[in-house]
Amino acid sequence: MSLLTTRYETLEAALRACAGGDRLALRALYEQEAAQMLGVAIRMLKRRALAEEVLQDAFLAIWNNAGRYQSGNARGWMYTILRNRALNVLRGEARTELIEDFEQFDQPSADETPEDIMSRLSDESALKRCLKLLDAARQKIVVLAYTEGLSHGEIAAKLGVPLGTIKSWLRRSLLSLKACMG
Amino acid sequence: MSEIPEELDLIAAEFALGTLEGADKARAEALEAADPAFRVALAGWRAKFAALDETAIPLTPPPQLWERIEAGVAEAAPAKTPAGRHNPPSGWIAQVWASLSFWRPLGLAGALASLMLALALSAALNRGPIAPVYVAVLNTGDGRAAAVVNAFADGTVELIPLERIDVPLGRIIEVWTLQTRERGPVSIGRMDQARRMKLDLKDLSRPDANHLFELTLEPAGGSPTGKPTGPILMKGLTARSI
Repeated sequence: MSLLTTRYETLEAALRACAGGDRLALRALYEQEAAQMLGVAIRMLKRRALAEEVLQDAFLAIWNNAGRYQSGNARGWMYTILRNRALNVLRGEARTELIEDFEQFDQPSADETPEDIMSRLSDESALKRCLKLLDAARQKIVVLAYTEGLSHGEIAAKLGVPLGTIKSWLRRSLLSLKACMG
Repeated sequence: MSEIPEELDLIAAEFALGTLEGADKARAEALEAADPAFRVALAGWRAKFAALDETAIPLTPPPQLWERIEAGVAEAAPAKTPAGRHNPPSGWIAQVWASLSFWRPLGLAGALASLMLALALSAALNRGPIAPVYVAVLNTGDGRAAAVVNAFADGTVELIPLERIDVPLGRIIEVWTLQTRERGPVSIGRMDQARRMKLDLKDLSRPDANHLFELTLEPAGGSPTGKPTGPILMKGLTARSI
């Protein structure tokens, strides 16, 4: 059994222990979530070295900010820290380096289409049910935006659709998701 | 449902989605810091999208990554002493039972007991005292242990389900393993309902630590593309047994 379940039982409890300075608690969080988090980061950043760097930063931020975690979804709190860091890299100055760096891209994330990702969502997931109410192009926009961290402009370029259209599609898709998911 | 104006709710939605840039993003960050109602809306949107994080394929970080984090932590908080390790429980059964206080309220003690039974039976019935070298516990999306994969030193690999699976008419269960990202997921078995089976790894390497095993629902006859196309029923990574 994992360090998390034997010693801390829940992610919440381990996060609180981190706030109290317990480094083993951070290790427990890492053992439990690091592999999935690296998968999320590599899908956004495409490159392994960069994704590992962001994961490292995220865990240091989790440690340093554990005292600010209040209550609620501890896992979501951790993934938000990771995603925000990855988005900062994607949107920030690091972008020029990204283009100049010739390091090999990881292939599988390049192969993965929004349809593949949709199909990997659990059938019980409300998000899947509600995304399916949107037409294919709008589903694609939401999935691409979230999983690859694409901006409006990047989605427009990728799909060959004008920027204004992307913005209004996205807006209506989000309103529809809200009506469906509550 | 939300108490904030639609315009602000859409900003929260796009902030959670990750599409905001520049001034729009700065505004969202300011709202998050200052406005409790915006924070509630934002938390709602983040929770809506969180299911997409589960669709990423897990990837084990190299050991040096943890060492770097640990070094960073030591630098950030030199005054704090890590809590001492408890005496390790003797053997895996003790560890499993030690964690029951966690599992019991979730009603998972039964699943866990069957997991232990499955491990014990597979060792006792089939192979005398031989224990699997690698074990993967496959979890459902909501964290239930739903199957175990055992890999033995002689190269055989078996799947032991721990619960029934509702398979819709015209669909089957397909078993996949992912050893390297270059090759991607490879189909290693199909079945019409959850049952014990030997898995045929064909030309793949023998299981090693951190190989992914995954079950998906596919059309009758198996995935039409040779890659998983249906929803993930459960997945887990292999770990070396003690």
